[in-house]
Amino acid sequence: MTLQRRALLQSLTAAVFGSALGCSRDADRGSAQSVALWFSYGGKNREVLERMVHRYNQSQQGIRVLATFQGDYFEALAKLRTAIVARSAPVMSHVVGEVVPYLHEAGVLEPLDAYPDAQNLGLVPALAQVGTYTPTEPKPLVALPFNRSTPILYWNGAMLERARLSVPESWDELREAAKALTVRSNDRVSTWGLECPISWWFWVALMGQAGGEVMGADGYPLLGEEAGVEALQLWQRMVHEDKTMRPPPGRDYNAWQVTNQDFLAGRAAMIYTSTAFLRYLEEHATFPVRAAPLPGFRRRAVPTGGTFFVMMKSAPDHEKQAAWDFLRWMMQPEQTIEWATSTGYMPVASDAVARLEREGFYQKSPNDRVAMDQLKYAMPWPWAESLFRVQRECVDPRLEEAVLNRQDARSLLNEARKQALEDT
Amino acid sequence: MLRPRHRLHPYLFLAPTLGILGTFFLFPLGLAAYRSLYRWDLLTPPRFVGLAHYERLFSSGEILRTLTITLSYAAVVVSGSMFLGLLLALAVNRKGKFVAFVRSCVFSAYVVSWVSVALLWMWLLDADAGLVGRACKALGIGEAGLLTSPSTAIYALAGVTIWKITGFSMVVFLAGRQDIPEDLYEAASLDGAGPLARFVHITWPCLRPTTAFVGTTSLIVSFQAFDIVRVMTQGGPTHSTTVFVYAIYEHVLLNLRAGRASAMVVVFFGVLLLLTLVQLWAWRMGRRSR
Repeated sequence: MTLQRRALLQSLTAAVFGSALGCSRDADRGSAQSVALWFSYGGKNREVLERMVHRYNQSQQGIRVLATFQGDYFEALAKLRTAIVARSAPVMSHVVGEVVPYLHEAGVLEPLDAYPDAQNLGLVPALAQVGTYTPTEPKPLVALPFNRSTPILYWNGAMLERARLSVPESWDELREAAKALTVRSNDRVSTWGLECPISWWFWVALMGQAGGEVMGADGYPLLGEEAGVEALQLWQRMVHEDKTMRPPPGRDYNAWQVTNQDFLAGRAAMIYTSTAFLRYLEEHATFPVRAAPLPGFRRRAVPTGGTFFVMMKSAPDHEKQAAWDFLRWMMQPEQTIEWATSTGYMPVASDAVARLEREGFYQKSPNDRVAMDQLKYAMPWPWAESLFRVQRECVDPRLEEAVLNRQDARSLLNEARKQALEDT
Repeated sequence: MLRPRHRLHPYLFLAPTLGILGTFFLFPLGLAAYRSLYRWDLLTPPRFVGLAHYERLFSSGEILRTLTITLSYAAVVVSGSMFLGLLLALAVNRKGKFVAFVRSCVFSAYVVSWVSVALLWMWLLDADAGLVGRACKALGIGEAGLLTSPSTAIYALAGVTIWKITGFSMVVFLAGRQDIPEDLYEAASLDGAGPLARFVHITWPCLRPTTAFVGTTSLIVSFQAFDIVRVMTQGGPTHSTTVFVYAIYEHVLLNLRAGRASAMVVVFFGVLLLLTLVQLWAWRMGRRSR
């Protein structure tokens, strides 16, 4: 009994001292400058980001980054815009590349040029703001690259070997490979040759391969002109004539998830999706996952994707200074290497790429090399305020109509162009 | 007749309700009507465009398309949930543990969140892996998947909604049925009325107020549909499931168009007002004919 009482007293004493210590530690952290970061990753990418934020918070005492998940890219953007109006926006967020010009022209982004070392971050030009856009006049630095990607072709190594096929290099070879890989029984398809989300990013890749541009130098929405039509017609042929491509159900990132799941379940032999899913697909597949550059047509071309870190102009100065410290830390080679090797996104610091080359990372993981090699074919985005609206409102819905309803690609893109020129 | 001591008293009693209605319904609606005359993306200053948003919504056919989709969805949901709810209520209107268990099972779907229901049915409707999707495919319905085809997606969503809300209709019909005095049925049986005649001449007329209540609540549910669309189809494929509320969400939050979304709100309000007037008229006609 006495022993039990003593044990109880000891436990209580320990608990009291423990909480006091905890409080003092919290008090120490309480003096740190808190800065909010809104992010849009789920799954593995979220785990990696949270791990890195935790490491940053542990590495110093003065700044505490509070990372909060806000849904997918589009949901997070909607929340960010609403928060800006409500004057409750975080100091930092990350946004898709297509929306950066709009946010800048709306005057909500903090120019970063004057921050310490802003000109000496050593970023890969094609992935940084400078190489991602083609502005007609110089623009201030408002966005730092974070999770940058390109679409790539993934294929089921086992299926491709069984069919004794080589990786398709052109649209014709892609169609032939998809025919050979599609498995039918009683007119029902158990494995589709190709699966690709019917979405802006992949259409831009095809349109670029056919020789088109999204916009002219004057900002006129070309939408690839004839090349845009050819891109849509490739999908229409593969879905309706060849019956070798499955357009995944759902819109936006829901369709991307279905594409990944079909690939992992062996229901699709080849898929077009982002480098972002490389590690996820490799870790979850029961077959060898192989990656390859997207096949070309008249030329090789690929858009860059992913997001940029941005800082809100409306945030207090002391928060912006603290946020800059975190952003600068994230741009360092160590961090970009950790992010890239844990996820599949591309390392955004030139030194990081050189170090990975030196250490033989790309020899050991050739799939990671694909996106980096493809960068030489990267198409810059036009710096147009309307770019995001053209994507979401004018083009995306019509891609679905062309492929699912098999409507005339040319007239749909004409409609999209007309709508893009409308002001209201 | 009661007379107020002071002529302001009735208004004072009405003030809390009027205050809430004014703050949370009328003021936002007025604001939406005002905003609908502007081009506004939340971030840049609004620009006056007059009635351009309305002109654009009508001339592009967007209003007609959205209205057709919403009404098709509502018609299937209201008729389906009423029919099944009534059928189930009549089937489980008896005593016993098994029947109580069945009642609980049917009603349980009603208390599950919309998001959970949507996720469950996405899996069930999958053309390759889903139980329902595969069964439909075997029957030649929705070969590519019920949610993938523009011609079937809205009916698939309506089916899921019916599955979720039928439990509520069943409980309300059951309460209405149990309120009907058994003497009426006994007298009708003595007069030689069979089950069908008893239903047509006793059950159905006595359940008219209940039917009106079930119809109104399921109509409200179908006009408020959002979660199920957001999770299962995001308005697609090819806008075939873009109901009114989702269209408003899409305009304001995805397409950065607060002005056009406000115009949609005003039109939606007009549609609901019209439906309410029709309903009131039908109710008054029903009372007059009695």
